[in-house]
Amino acid sequence: MSNVISEANWKFHWRLTESAGIMIYLADFKGRRVLWEASLPYVTVDHQRESLEPTSDPGERHGTWWLPLGGRTIQGPVRVQSFRGGVELSATFASGPYHYTQLWRFHDDGRLCPWLTIYGPGVHPQHTYHPHFRFDFDLDGARDDAFERFEEGRWQRVEREGWFPYTGEADKDGTVWRQVDFGSGAAINIRPHSWDDAEMFAIRYHDGEWAPYSPRSGAGNQSFPAAYIGDEELDGEDVSLWYVAHVHFDQSFPYTAGPWIKVEGLR
Amino acid sequence: MRADPTLFDPLTAGEIADALRTLTEDKRVHGMAKVGRYRVLCVEPLVVKPPHWMAGHRLARVVVYDYAADRTVDACVDLDAGVVAHLDFSRAQPVLSREEEDLATSIAIVDDNVRSKLALGDIPQATLHYWGRTASELAYGRRSAAVLFGRGDGAPSLVAVVDLLDQTVTQVVPAELW
Repeated sequence: MSNVISEANWKFHWRLTESAGIMIYLADFKGRRVLWEASLPYVTVDHQRESLEPTSDPGERHGTWWLPLGGRTIQGPVRVQSFRGGVELSATFASGPYHYTQLWRFHDDGRLCPWLTIYGPGVHPQHTYHPHFRFDFDLDGARDDAFERFEEGRWQRVEREGWFPYTGEADKDGTVWRQVDFGSGAAINIRPHSWDDAEMFAIRYHDGEWAPYSPRSGAGNQSFPAAYIGDEELDGEDVSLWYVAHVHFDQSFPYTAGPWIKVEGLR
Repeated sequence: MRADPTLFDPLTAGEIADALRTLTEDKRVHGMAKVGRYRVLCVEPLVVKPPHWMAGHRLARVVVYDYAADRTVDACVDLDAGVVAHLDFSRAQPVLSREEEDLATSIAIVDDNVRSKLALGDIPQATLHYWGRTASELAYGRRSAAVLFGRGDGAPSLVAVVDLLDQTVTQVVPAELW
């Protein structure tokens, strides 16, 4: 199977990674570069204990674990399927009581859906999944980017690296964050799933500063991507974004996490 | 931006061997290579963007865990030039290699404490990379794995935490109490 797909106004490449699921790279929409690289570096899981007695609530006693989504956990091949108005990639990963389907959906109107469907019972019901999606959008080139968030009823420019959780505020289309290219005025609009309890990390791009094959940067330290955040300026620079969802298991699973993304303003 | 998509292609067996040979001959990791207590965790293509001077080069990212020094070695090998272009040492905990997963499973399965708590038909279901929440757990600062036991496709019944440095089981917890 070719790893280049040209369909639905998109042209993109893909490959299966060792630990970050299906990676998409060099993605163009209507002949214009949108994405340098995007992947799903980690899906971590932690556990909680429930007690009806607040005084005896043990809280979270244990730490986090994760299994890499890659060659060692994939079940069957990566699937490429056309659907009305687009094309999608999907792959199923499993290990023990954890089951995932990673999806990349490309729509002919510029929408892009990087999603993760979560199945499986886990070790016990009181657990939470934390899928970490990483995007390196290069809209019409790597530089001259700006990152904005919708806050206090309007779009506000973010000047420095940071952490930007979804607070419930969004523009009329539901968009919460966007990456804008100064040169073309085009934008990548990002709308979280309302049940994702999502947060966004906006970080200045550095080569190799991604998927260190573990979310843990060291004992007692912040985990990635928080550990990447410094005080660097974003305005006019190359920006990478991490979308992190927090999904508590419940009986209505499976659940599909991940944002809606739309490319707009490309002329 | 012009970019060569072939630079993202998976490394060939020869390129992987080339990257590892180049790394282990680098003087900065001489001690690691000599002692030989390290695990190669990942060798994958790395592509840097223009205007970086290495843009357009065929690069390999090699991540190694050095058990002798209890540290991670993160290297970028320039396969075109045959040199280690970047080398970083840290206390980060990279993903377990497949061999470490197998080792953790084999340690847990023969541990007396684990065996005494297994029910009939329980088998290892999965081995996960684990790190503790607080410093009171050994797994907080030491490379560790969690091995889940249970029946076939059924729910896990037991969690065993394995310290990969000492190759011992440090916790055995019924799954419902995890």
